[in-house]
Amino acid sequence: MFRVFLAGRYTVARPVSYLAMVSIGLAIMALIVVWSIMNGFLEQTRDILRGSMADIVVFPVQRHEPAPRELLEALAREHPDVAAVSSRLVRPAIFKKYGSANVVLGNMQDAQHTQLMVMGMDAQAELAHTDLRVHLTNVHDPVFRVADPERPFDIALKDIALAEVRFNDPVPVLLGEATLRMWGLRRGDAIELVTLPDGMSLDGEPVTPTVLTFVIAGAFNSHHTDDNGKAYIPRADFGDWAGTVHELSELYVSAKPGVPLERLRDELGAVLDSSGVFCDVQTWEDRNKTWLAAVENERNILFVILGFFLLLVCTISFSVLTMLVQEKVRDIGILSAMGASSGGVGGVFAVVGMYIATLGGLLGLAAGWALSTYINDVKDLIEHVFEIQIFDRNVYAFSEIPTAINMDHNLIIAGVTMVAAVIICLLPAWRAARLDPVEALRHE
Amino acid sequence: MSSPSPSVEIMLEARGLTRSYRMGGRDLTVLSGADLTLYAGERLAIMGRSGAGKSTLLHLLGLLDRPDSGSLAIRGQATERLSRSARARVRNNEVGFVFQFYHLIPELSALENVLLPSMICEGPLRWLGNRKPHREHAANLLDELGLAERLSHKPPQLSGGERQRVAIARALASRPALLLCDEPTGNLDERTSAAITNLLFEVVQRHQQTLVMVTHDPELARRADRTLLLHEGRLTAEELVLGEPAQAPVAG
Repeated sequence: MFRVFLAGRYTVARPVSYLAMVSIGLAIMALIVVWSIMNGFLEQTRDILRGSMADIVVFPVQRHEPAPRELLEALAREHPDVAAVSSRLVRPAIFKKYGSANVVLGNMQDAQHTQLMVMGMDAQAELAHTDLRVHLTNVHDPVFRVADPERPFDIALKDIALAEVRFNDPVPVLLGEATLRMWGLRRGDAIELVTLPDGMSLDGEPVTPTVLTFVIAGAFNSHHTDDNGKAYIPRADFGDWAGTVHELSELYVSAKPGVPLERLRDELGAVLDSSGVFCDVQTWEDRNKTWLAAVENERNILFVILGFFLLLVCTISFSVLTMLVQEKVRDIGILSAMGASSGGVGGVFAVVGMYIATLGGLLGLAAGWALSTYINDVKDLIEHVFEIQIFDRNVYAFSEIPTAINMDHNLIIAGVTMVAAVIICLLPAWRAARLDPVEALRHE
Repeated sequence: MSSPSPSVEIMLEARGLTRSYRMGGRDLTVLSGADLTLYAGERLAIMGRSGAGKSTLLHLLGLLDRPDSGSLAIRGQATERLSRSARARVRNNEVGFVFQFYHLIPELSALENVLLPSMICEGPLRWLGNRKPHREHAANLLDELGLAERLSHKPPQLSGGERQRVAIARALASRPALLLCDEPTGNLDERTSAAITNLLFEVVQRHQQTLVMVTHDPELARRADRTLLLHEGRLTAEELVLGEPAQAPVAG
């Protein structure tokens, strides 16, 4: 009983004990908050990346013969774990405002927005199994928004700004919301997309690009910076513009819920190979492997660095315990005289360490949870009070600081820290237990 | 106390206790074959010049220290081969210490200081179960020593005499058979010293305990049943200082 009781009194009586608790608490809080934010960042990034593409993408190895789109689609659909498929045609292009004489290359920033990957897609098929609908409705400003998300390429003649374009049967195009803002364009405006047709020789012959006028049917916004480099047009119009006989650049495949994508990828690859169609099959994670791995690496490195910091903080409790043992040498002699065993004496100091570690750990756990939960309110408050910006939503394309709170992980962080702090405190406690009671009583 | 009859229990029996310390590269022998037989209920004073080894002897008798050689039995139980934890148990059950400088725990109130031996003796659940009788016993002891109004006071809030009374109450808390006092009045003024001496002898009488006091104070020694002089590492009967023959048998 005396261990619990006396340790409590020793802990309460010393302000330095509270300092150690707060230090441990702050370190745990920092680790929990960083872990929650990095996990939130990773989760949102994965959501965004996954949302803009299907579970699995099949890239046919293009030869002289066009890839057999219908066969590929049929083979993929036959797999029992496949929910839906759709085909896309992809072609790089240079974008220019309608009527401007020259293609604007300009500086790097301008150049980013003059080069696009134009994707020919079947809107109805994509709406059935991708997040296209969400990306269309993410656009709130009516001057950019499509008239009907269920028929995104539809645009009424009255909505087309220029009469010369209106009656020329223009092809509709969807552009990223940020692109439209940057170029001062809106729904109904016209643009031109320039590309090189298939089979064109570049060995000294003059290059004659194909140029086609498009009318902007609306914008999309997947909250990803990739939006700036993309344009969607109907797949049916792609061949005329790009001068290609190919019907397929990518096959988008959606898996049924719960199906492991790696397995489906391997099985589809095998099916296509055995059918004599050579393809590269990738999951959406494979395609973003580098990006996701970078985020995960960043998260893990931060965790390790903060973990070392946390261990360092644990040594504060070691210092507090060492000082306490030094200060309480005579008490150790008194306790021994009253019949406390050496283990009992050491136990008093070990329990002090346990109190500091436990209370610090619980404090950190609660503070970490609270700050992770209300991080955006805290951010707003700091920004308001100090008139500074600590989170630029344009940098990450997130409207707020993302967090994913995992209580199991938080408990592990707090638990491991508490155990580490207690273990570190065992050394001074052991030294207290080993003190000679007579020497302790004579201690000045 | 008159000479004990053969039926009186021997509380403590020490034979040939030696103890030396290594100091400044030399062995300093403090005790060199001290013998002592102490009877139950006896009140013994040990005198000697400073550095004679009085406190060392007290620490050996209270099992806080181990002799280099010699034997010590408490209530017939040999202590030489007892483990550290067994010696701690004997200290908790059989021995109470009173020190010159009180040695109270400053973070605890007077009552809590007195409760400490019972807390050491019992685990948390058992102690909580017995909390009420323990508190009553501790409060009664403090009341007996005139500290009924000082139960919640912490040591820094008490005078020297009050602190020593708390220390005596703490030494009596586990109802030990043997009370070992190391210059219990050595840090007090004359008046307080007399009051503490009176109280000490009263409570020892009332609780029928055996008392061993180390002291420089002839007045305190005069109150004892027997006084021994520690000289050159051995205990001898002291008659010169007090001028009266010892009444109890002298060991060794």
